[in-house]
Amino acid sequence: MALNPARIGHRYPAYRYEVSREKVREYARATGASEAQVPGETGDAVALPTFAASFTIPRGFSWAADPELGAHPALVHGEQSYVFHRPVRVGDVLVCTPQIDDIRSLGRNEFLTAVVECVDEVTGEPVVTSKATIIFFSRPAEADATAGADPVTGAGPATAVADEEVSS
Amino acid sequence: MVAVGDRLPERTVTLDQGWLIRYAGASGDFNPLHWDPAFAAGVSPTGGVIAHGMLNAGLVGNAVSEWAGGPERVRSLTTAFRAPCPVGATVTVGGEVLAVDLDTRTATLAVWAVLADGAKVVDRKRSRAVVALG
Repeated sequence: MALNPARIGHRYPAYRYEVSREKVREYARATGASEAQVPGETGDAVALPTFAASFTIPRGFSWAADPELGAHPALVHGEQSYVFHRPVRVGDVLVCTPQIDDIRSLGRNEFLTAVVECVDEVTGEPVVTSKATIIFFSRPAEADATAGADPVTGAGPATAVADEEVSS
Repeated sequence: MVAVGDRLPERTVTLDQGWLIRYAGASGDFNPLHWDPAFAAGVSPTGGVIAHGMLNAGLVGNAVSEWAGGPERVRSLTTAFRAPCPVGATVTVGGEVLAVDLDTRTATLAVWAVLADGAKVVDRKRSRAVVALG
């Protein structure tokens, strides 16, 4: 099952995300941050870098439910990058726009690059850009093994067995 | 003074099911691959429950942030997920300075997360952090 290359450049509806103190604290603790890294109960606070995942993965994976893309559950999350234009702070209200950046074939696999641009709702300034590389396996046996899985909750950002082709 | 070859303090943690459940709740990623053995048996690359890639990325990101002197110093973080991380696995996180740019006052680090058997959960070859120098 091939992905539809006509979807390259497609933008999905934006969503809004409020950065709340308790979620930032919960995420810090869930990723093993030292107590010194967990923001306090009051005052200015910057989120740890991968907190961005809590509003981009799987929330920003709009492509998973796009009937025109043809995504299927035989996939892994191969790579994830965050570029911070400024730090994410408690109290930020972000407007996040998912977009398909690229679709490539390499051997029997397909690589989807999906971006989420997150900007400050008030000032419009860019805050963080998320870029996910999703590897779709086209081997029928693997597709069968995951048949029936929900494309979002059943086959989300799994840890990958990304092969060397990713680096080319 | 940060120099090429400087290393992050290594940290080793065992990611038991409790870690994965806490990460699911904190992140909103409730993919049953990370908590339901029956579901994982059919779809997991290991045949069992595996950790969220972003949980390992979080361990890496937190280590970089602490080393850099705070999360506001982290300019970018790229994590390449290579080997799956089974529930209960012991992961060692590290990083090494590859380059220092005195013009932009930034350092580029290779970062990684490896299992006890050497499996590259976050692959050093492609995983990078750029941090602002103090």
